[in-house]
Amino acid sequence: MVRWAAKLFPQAWRCRYGPEFEALLEDLAPSWRDVSDVVGRALTLRGRALIESKLPAWSGASLMSAALHLRLPIIMAVIAHAMVLSLIMVASSAYVAPIPWNRPAAPSPPPPPLPPAEITDSRVFRDVPEVYSSLPLRLSGNGGTLFTSVVEGVGIYFPPLPDMGAIDRRRNPIRRVWPGHALERSITRRVVPQYPAGTRAREVSSVFLEYLIGTDGSVKVLRTSGPALFANAARAALERWEYQPMRFEDDIIEVVSRVEVRFDGALANAAAQ
Amino acid sequence: MSDPALLVLASLADGDKHGYAMMQDIEAFAGIRLGPGTLYGAITRLDQRGWIRAVKPGSRRQPYRITAEGRQYLKEQLTMLDQVVRTGSRRLNEA
Repeated sequence: MVRWAAKLFPQAWRCRYGPEFEALLEDLAPSWRDVSDVVGRALTLRGRALIESKLPAWSGASLMSAALHLRLPIIMAVIAHAMVLSLIMVASSAYVAPIPWNRPAAPSPPPPPLPPAEITDSRVFRDVPEVYSSLPLRLSGNGGTLFTSVVEGVGIYFPPLPDMGAIDRRRNPIRRVWPGHALERSITRRVVPQYPAGTRAREVSSVFLEYLIGTDGSVKVLRTSGPALFANAARAALERWEYQPMRFEDDIIEVVSRVEVRFDGALANAAAQ
Repeated sequence: MSDPALLVLASLADGDKHGYAMMQDIEAFAGIRLGPGTLYGAITRLDQRGWIRAVKPGSRRQPYRITAEGRQYLKEQLTMLDQVVRTGSRRLNEA
């Protein structure tokens, strides 16, 4: 073991003192204490030799240059980190908004909602007490009609209203135009028109009705268009509808809407059979 | 006194000795057993400073001899130690 430890001595030392050191070890009866002594001394000499091997590289330089040589990696790392951080700060300053340090205690309240737009089309409100609008009652659905129900060949559809939202504030109570499908949540009673007896035509006949929902929720038909037989049947049913009282801006108002009733003779005949 | 270099110089003061002889001599006159690593560490330093030299270079049991410089260094160290010993002894007696 102690001979193995002796090999830890530097090569140059072993060339000079190796043989006589082995002779000394042969004369001794080495103990574990001697082994540790040899290992410690060998490592000391090896470290000293390592330091002395580095010294010539610094011997021609000044003390300051030697210090710089030692700290050069640290200095380069600090400079590199500083450059990277500077680049990040410069790049982010263009995209990140500055932090408002003097932040207000509470966010400002949202602006009040804008009042609903009022339509003042002279064709909509005329001084005709019963006929509400001068707009053509028979409007093209263009596929925008709302199918409501079909019972025994009779269908109820709500056509789109070009004057939807129109308000007449000159009246008391206020009168407002509103599409029928938007009133569905307020309807409390609906009567589906009956196909007129004795008129089993094969084609489809449509009638258009403009109606008024009063402040008590009752329905009054203002005008109709289409075959009188079907229009009367639709009017009779529509005036039995009931709605909840309509409210607008905390006031109970009258609402005007329009509905299309389609009478399908083929379906009615099929249902009758 | 436990400086291995000074012990080695003191051992060689009365004649040439090789390593094992130095270990036995030092243990005899100082009661200190130097390990082989410590002994040859001291021999290496003294040899490099020129205070001892090998008598028969290349011999396996290499004897060493103290040089004039080593002898001078030993005298200086012993004088200093003697001063310490006498001062300490006097103060002990006075106390």
